[in-house]
Amino acid sequence: MATNPMHQFNVYRIGPEVNIAGVDLSFTNSSLFMLISALTICIFLFLATKEKKLIPGKLQLTAELFYNFIAKMISDTAGSKAKPYFPFIFSLFMFVLLCNMVGMLPYSFTVTSHIIVTLILALFIFISVTFIGFLKHGFKYLKIFVPSGVPVLLLPLITVIEIISYLSRPVSLSVRLFANMMAGHTMLKVFGGFVISLGLIGGWLPLTFSVALTGLEILVAFLQAYVFAILTCIYLNDALNLHH
Amino acid sequence: MRLLFLFSLTYLVTEEDLISAEAGMPQLDPTYWASQGFWLILIFSILYLVISKFFIPRIKNNLEVRENKIKNDLDEAKNLKELAEKKEAEYMKLISEAKKEVTKNFIDTKKKLINDLNFKKESIEKEINKELEKTQKDINELKKDSINSINIIAEGIASKIIHDISGDKLNESSIKAVVSDTSKRKIGEYL
Repeated sequence: MATNPMHQFNVYRIGPEVNIAGVDLSFTNSSLFMLISALTICIFLFLATKEKKLIPGKLQLTAELFYNFIAKMISDTAGSKAKPYFPFIFSLFMFVLLCNMVGMLPYSFTVTSHIIVTLILALFIFISVTFIGFLKHGFKYLKIFVPSGVPVLLLPLITVIEIISYLSRPVSLSVRLFANMMAGHTMLKVFGGFVISLGLIGGWLPLTFSVALTGLEILVAFLQAYVFAILTCIYLNDALNLHH
Repeated sequence: MRLLFLFSLTYLVTEEDLISAEAGMPQLDPTYWASQGFWLILIFSILYLVISKFFIPRIKNNLEVRENKIKNDLDEAKNLKELAEKKEAEYMKLISEAKKEVTKNFIDTKKKLINDLNFKKESIEKEINKELEKTQKDINELKKDSINSINIIAEGIASKIIHDISGDKLNESSIKAVVSDTSKRKIGEYL
């Protein structure tokens, strides 16, 4: 079933089966690639911060570029109050980015193409943001559902819409990343299959597409990590600075 | 993009193999959900801790060090510039003062020299005049003296000549009168 484009998303156990209280927590290929992504981040950051040069080298510059990029993103969208959450957003961005990028390697596994992974991340963000909102503003945080300057007649309707949109945040956040990753990788695989099935004569066109799509997918991998992080910042902004 | 996606979807549907049970989405198979969640939380938590406790302080520290260094360097450059400007102003002031002083000294010296010269000139002139007067006086006295002595000599010679020629001894006072008379008349021609 090598031509099945969904085959690449299969999760299988590596090593012994681990069963804790009836729940299967075995180490899988998904866990392996999470570990690879995390280790890559750690190695990259370790090498980048090993030498503290006044004039940075390439690696150090890259790490500082990421740092400034995310610091700017946070201060632009959520203001100075969001500074304590910088390490989390930084880790989140790096993790999602590396998972997406490692997934672009042939024969690798894309951790973020699984809805459960993105959903857990999104749910964690959603719950934390809601918690922070209530912690900072108490019950006034519920004002987020009642926009100011809306006619009284429309208020019940708007409030319902606001509540639905607020509750759909984790779903939209997780599905966006998951669907983008899955669709992109499926498409790459399909075109890869075309190259083989059309052979030496007809395979050139899908091969061209494949190459172009790989470039596009790398862009998407970066973009989705960025979108994931910036949406987290925007949600955080709502919780920290109550605008409504 | 949409066209490509539709294309791949048609491919998925038309390929008979793929419609089998295995061709479903492995993402929706809950067998390893717990495992994925567990490992995600574990690995991400460790990553977060390592990044927030270890890497971010290091990057931040280095960025701050650089920022401070740049700020200090700029401050130092500014200070040095100010110092240089101050020194330049001092230097210019010094030069202009020196120029003024030189001019003043020049004028002073000139004045002093002129004064000195005038004074010396005057004193020399005075001395010369004094000398001249004195000399004039001396000459006058000498003249007077010489007239007297000439008269006396003339009297002597006259009385001697008269004595020699005539053998008489003439009255001295008459000789004197004749000599003084003659000298009064003729002395102006010689003196």
